[in-house]
Amino acid sequence: MQLARRIVVRLFGGAIMVLVVAIFTFFLVRLMPGNPVAAEYNTLIMRGMTPVQAADEVRVMYGYIPHEPLIDQYFHYLWQLLHFNLGQSISYEGVSVLHIVLSDAPWTIVLVLLGLITSFILGVTAGVIAAVKRSSGIGNVLTVSGSLLHGIPQFVVALLLAFLFTTLWPIFPFGAPYNASLTAGFNLPFIGSVAYHAILPVSAYAISSYGGWMLTMKSSVISVLGDDFVLAAELRGVKPRIRFGYIARNAILPLFTVFALSLGFMFGGSLFIENIFDYNGLGNLLVTSISNRDYPLMSGAFLFITIAVILSNIVADFLYSVVDPRIRRST
Amino acid sequence: MSLHDPVPAPEDAGIQIRNLTVSYDTDRGRFHALNDVTLDIRPRHITGFIGESGSGKTTLAMAMMNAIHNPGRIDGGSVLLEGAGDVLRLKGEELRRLHGRYFGFVFQASSNSLNPLKRIGAQLMDLGRSHGVTDLRALLREAKTLAERMGMDGDRVLTSYQHELSGGMRQRVGIIFALVLKARVIILDEPTTALDMLSQQAVLEIVRTIHQERGLTTVIITHDMGVVAEMADRVVVLYAGRVVEEGPTQSVLRHPRHPYTRGLIHAIPRITGNLHDVEPLQGTPPDLATIPTIGCVFRERCPIRAPICDTVAPTPTSAHGDGIVTCHGVDQHD
Repeated sequence: MQLARRIVVRLFGGAIMVLVVAIFTFFLVRLMPGNPVAAEYNTLIMRGMTPVQAADEVRVMYGYIPHEPLIDQYFHYLWQLLHFNLGQSISYEGVSVLHIVLSDAPWTIVLVLLGLITSFILGVTAGVIAAVKRSSGIGNVLTVSGSLLHGIPQFVVALLLAFLFTTLWPIFPFGAPYNASLTAGFNLPFIGSVAYHAILPVSAYAISSYGGWMLTMKSSVISVLGDDFVLAAELRGVKPRIRFGYIARNAILPLFTVFALSLGFMFGGSLFIENIFDYNGLGNLLVTSISNRDYPLMSGAFLFITIAVILSNIVADFLYSVVDPRIRRST
Repeated sequence: MSLHDPVPAPEDAGIQIRNLTVSYDTDRGRFHALNDVTLDIRPRHITGFIGESGSGKTTLAMAMMNAIHNPGRIDGGSVLLEGAGDVLRLKGEELRRLHGRYFGFVFQASSNSLNPLKRIGAQLMDLGRSHGVTDLRALLREAKTLAERMGMDGDRVLTSYQHELSGGMRQRVGIIFALVLKARVIILDEPTTALDMLSQQAVLEIVRTIHQERGLTTVIITHDMGVVAEMADRVVVLYAGRVVEEGPTQSVLRHPRHPYTRGLIHAIPRITGNLHDVEPLQGTPPDLATIPTIGCVFRERCPIRAPICDTVAPTPTSAHGDGIVTCHGVDQHD
């Protein structure tokens, strides 16, 4: 019962956060220089329409009048948002934003999650090895690899991968999440094609976040190794395998917080990575909508990424209280 | 007995330590934490190790179990354990089996000697599995009985996490872990530090009762003379990694022969006594980096320093009947 109450409280808090972000994105988006609706309105007037005619025309096309006060536009937007109506796209004329966002979101979510999980598993394993063998050659090589990869920005990794594996050695495909000649659905060739197309972007996510996991895990393991209970378990003759489990579980705890934070970071990175690989996801959608000044689409994509990050933070929070008994009863 | 016991420990588990030398590698060089320690830990006795911080008490206990870790190193000597041979020659699995089954080490109450993420009962089962105990339920029953004898709610303790227990309870749980596999040698590191007076008393009484009941060989590491006086049959006084005095507790406390032991005893304030009678021990505790390499290590703080102390290290001489004292001045000032 208590858990249910906590979940409700957290979700309510999350909803408020989403609303606050919605306010910011709405205004920020409209503060950008260049206004396509105003441009269209001006063109129509230059073609000889009266301002009233032009305003009606624009209202029909985009759902709002550009010189209407921003605050009125905002309440209109908010009212529609509460009805899960994100408006119509400007660049894809007549298509609802919700439809576009929902059709692109799964690709990004799958890519980000796969990249995150791959890098987490690799980074944590390497971090444990680097910590245990920290005074040997392997440990040093791993640590250096972690620091090096941690320092390279995501888009550089993505550009490098794209250059090496699609241009220099064209092993992997470029653009589109799957081969268009295949029928979409649960069949092997289609899934294979999706996986094949996802390898490069997922690797880009994984390589760029591996270093962070590795370094964090390494320092975490080293600090746990110095804890009294590790020595105590050894002096009690607890088997090395069981002791390793003790160390690993204690060391991985601080990484849960980082896991939640890096989800947001990864979604942000999708802007570069999807753009570089010309992959149809939220990131790419956001980039095109920005260059087209497609306000409703921009707000929609922003909002969706925000919701994804806030939700994953809440999930990570609850996971943390599952793995750490000290957190479990404190709230 | 319901516990599966592959190598039964002998009833009388005495330990003979011979010429044990341990050194630590530090930034400032390699220092001896224990220097040529020769000592008998008698079976069925409670032995107290006493000395200031840095005197080598804990190092000696760790070396007895061959559990010295980097940057420490055992340079030489032997630790003969009845029924197990030279502990210092054991390694890997053999050594692991000895820990827990033969030696029970109890950590300080202030330290967290349990995995914070697992319930006590689950950790007891891990301990049992590590030592080939087939009947884990009997092991838990045994732990529960011990917990209840120590005045705790057995079921509650076994289903608790470490953070749900008080300092005194943790200390008792540590003792359960040391006893549950029927270890013969129990080593308690500062068992009463960080506990209030009532908990101290309770813990000491439990240790004494079980010591007598099981005929254990018990070692108590402490810097509290009161604990030694109350508990120990024999006392070992350590200074700068050397045994400076050893003998039956009564004799050592009433007629201390070594000036360091005398200093330690005179430094204890008494509730009924005059505070001005208390004499603090002169100087600072030994620093391994600055202790002299020739002559007596205590001479800088010694009230009865003689010229010979600067050049010749004293050798152990017989004292307290069957004990020893290591001082040039004992004959003159007896």
